[in-house]
Amino acid sequence: MIVPFGHVLILATLLFLLGACCVVARRELLMILIGVEIMLNGAALAFVAAALRWQLADGQIFALFIIAVAAAEVAVGLALIVAARQRTGAMHGDDFNRLRG
Amino acid sequence: MTMMHFHLTFLLLFPLAGAVSMICCLPMGGRPLPRRVGETIACGASAGAFVMAGLAMWTMGDEPFRKVFWQWMAGPEFSSEIAILYDPLAAVMALMVTFVAALIHIYSVPFMRQESDYLRYFFLLNLFVFCMLTIVLADDLLFLFLGWEGVGLCSYGLIGYWYRDPANCLAGRKAFLLTRIGDAALLIAIAIFFSHLGTLSLTAINQQAVDLAPGLITLAGLLLLFAAMAKSAQMPLQVWLPDAMAGPTPVSALIHAATMVTAGVYLLMRFLPLLSLSPGVMLAAALVGAVTALLGAAAALTQRDIKRLLAWSTISQVGFMFLGLGAGSLAGSMFHLLVHGFCKSLLFLGAGCIIRLLRDEHDIFRMGRSLRLRHPPLFAAFAIGVVALAGLPPWAGFFSKGEILAAVFYHPGPGYRLLWFMALLAALLTAFYAFRLLLLVFFGAPPPDADEKRDPVFEPLPALMPALLWPLALLALAGGLLNCPLAMPGGHWLSGYLGTAPAPPGGEGSISDWGLLGLDGLIALVGLGLAWFCHGPADRLGWRLAAAPESTAHAVLRNGYGLDSFYRLLVARPYQAMAGFLWKRVDEKLVDDSLTGAGRSLLTTGRLLGLWTTGRLTTALQSLLWGAAAIFGLLLLGIWRALP
Repeated sequence: MIVPFGHVLILATLLFLLGACCVVARRELLMILIGVEIMLNGAALAFVAAALRWQLADGQIFALFIIAVAAAEVAVGLALIVAARQRTGAMHGDDFNRLRG
Repeated sequence: MTMMHFHLTFLLLFPLAGAVSMICCLPMGGRPLPRRVGETIACGASAGAFVMAGLAMWTMGDEPFRKVFWQWMAGPEFSSEIAILYDPLAAVMALMVTFVAALIHIYSVPFMRQESDYLRYFFLLNLFVFCMLTIVLADDLLFLFLGWEGVGLCSYGLIGYWYRDPANCLAGRKAFLLTRIGDAALLIAIAIFFSHLGTLSLTAINQQAVDLAPGLITLAGLLLLFAAMAKSAQMPLQVWLPDAMAGPTPVSALIHAATMVTAGVYLLMRFLPLLSLSPGVMLAAALVGAVTALLGAAAALTQRDIKRLLAWSTISQVGFMFLGLGAGSLAGSMFHLLVHGFCKSLLFLGAGCIIRLLRDEHDIFRMGRSLRLRHPPLFAAFAIGVVALAGLPPWAGFFSKGEILAAVFYHPGPGYRLLWFMALLAALLTAFYAFRLLLLVFFGAPPPDADEKRDPVFEPLPALMPALLWPLALLALAGGLLNCPLAMPGGHWLSGYLGTAPAPPGGEGSISDWGLLGLDGLIALVGLGLAWFCHGPADRLGWRLAAAPESTAHAVLRNGYGLDSFYRLLVARPYQAMAGFLWKRVDEKLVDDSLTGAGRSLLTTGRLLGLWTTGRLTTALQSLLWGAAAIFGLLLLGIWRALP
């Protein structure tokens, strides 16, 4: 491995935290979804790095799974956002508060 | 099934079936029985019970008849049966109870004609007869206790029959609570018998009583005596009986004069073999009886309400029965019980007629001679009752009271002479108040505020009501023949029937015997003279006016020696204070408030937590992130710790 393992982990953590900050800080549904994608990619990066570090294929298989799951999630999430937009005309996450206790 | 078994079964079943049929149609159809049907069932049930009691007495053999209907409870060391013991004592009592009950049921028909709630009345009356017969017949003590409680319940319901007036309900509650005190004593006595003899059967207890320790016999005897005192309204537990007159007059006649109040005496009679083992208990019973007879008669002397006067007279007469029993004279006590049952129910039924005639007038000073002039048969029947009560020679009360007095006089125990003297004084007072009652009610001038010339207009009286006095009057007249002390055929029938010693130790027809009888007769005549002097038509003392002398002594006697206020001060007030404390302080402040506080704090917590569920996406996501951060932080901490 050219890049040291620790560096990759730091990058993955940074990606994850940036995604999480995006999820928490932004109010638009689309941006929240993008934040989740970034978090997933941070996790996938950690898996790939670990697979290279220990020379095992399992991590890479997991990375593939994560990409598949992310694709499915984006498909469902975008469809939901479109449906919600059509129904209420709102794109703002805090407009959807009907689950209030 | 023998004839005997059949008669006794139906003796109990008739009133029970009457009571049950009275109420079972209510939940089913919703419509109560028509008045005629209800009255017929009630009267038929009690008359049927009377016939059965007569037949059972007719077919009874020499041996007491004991029958177990079924086993009620059974355990390894405990069993209780629905069992009856039919001996001569029970036979006589059952016959008297059913006879008086049948007459009073019939009397109630015209009496209750105006009431809309006739079913409740007849239901309670029939149920009372059943419970009373249970007491009379039961062999098993728990079965007896059921009847004992049952008569208390019916008495409570009937005293408070006109429950819309709170005073009546209070009177009923008072009677119920005071008799409950005695019930507790009876329960303790039952527990003692069970724990030491292992049986609840009256027969067995009486047979095995000799094996008990003397102290235990005395204890059980005193408990039984206390139970009987509460039920029979003996001093100092008599306070409930005068108030119990709040009920309808036939009820007062049946329950509070002839039958239920004598149940206590009857209980002691059933336990006589046991009680006679302890002279102390017998003396205590005689003492209670003598004191009650004397004080009750003195209190009756000052009453103005006709029913309260009769109630005090009942207390006093039941005291005579206790005295006779305490002197060991079963026959004398039973004799007096029967005679008193007849003449007191006669007087109460007569009082019911008078009260109805005068439109609910209870004050004997406001009755008058027009009552006698306009209703001579009523006067005659009432006079017979009064004379029998007073114990004037040829009437029944003379013989029954005489027998008790003789038994006390001849009793060898210490102190009995003093009791005899007290009883003699009580007999004098009895004659005095009895004739005072007669003179004031039937010979008095019309009330001063009424118009002298005009006769009072009487309420119409159903002909059946005064007519029903006559069977009782006949028995009050001739009841002395039941146990006539004279040497004649049929003399001492009751003593012989009950199987007790027929003649007192003085010897039959001896000089002292005749002397005692003569003394009793003389006493009654002196009472008559006193009454004539104080309350006669001549009115020498001017006591005829409604504003009769009202001294402190009068007030003390009329109010029953202040026992009411004494109990109020000693028991009711502390109890109320304690109940108020428990209610206001403990229940409301402590229990209620702490529960309310706990609930309120839960509510507040919930409301605060509820603020978190904003339903907004960002809140959920933030919470998720912070939660995840906390979990990861903990994990990191764990790894950090695990590092060498």
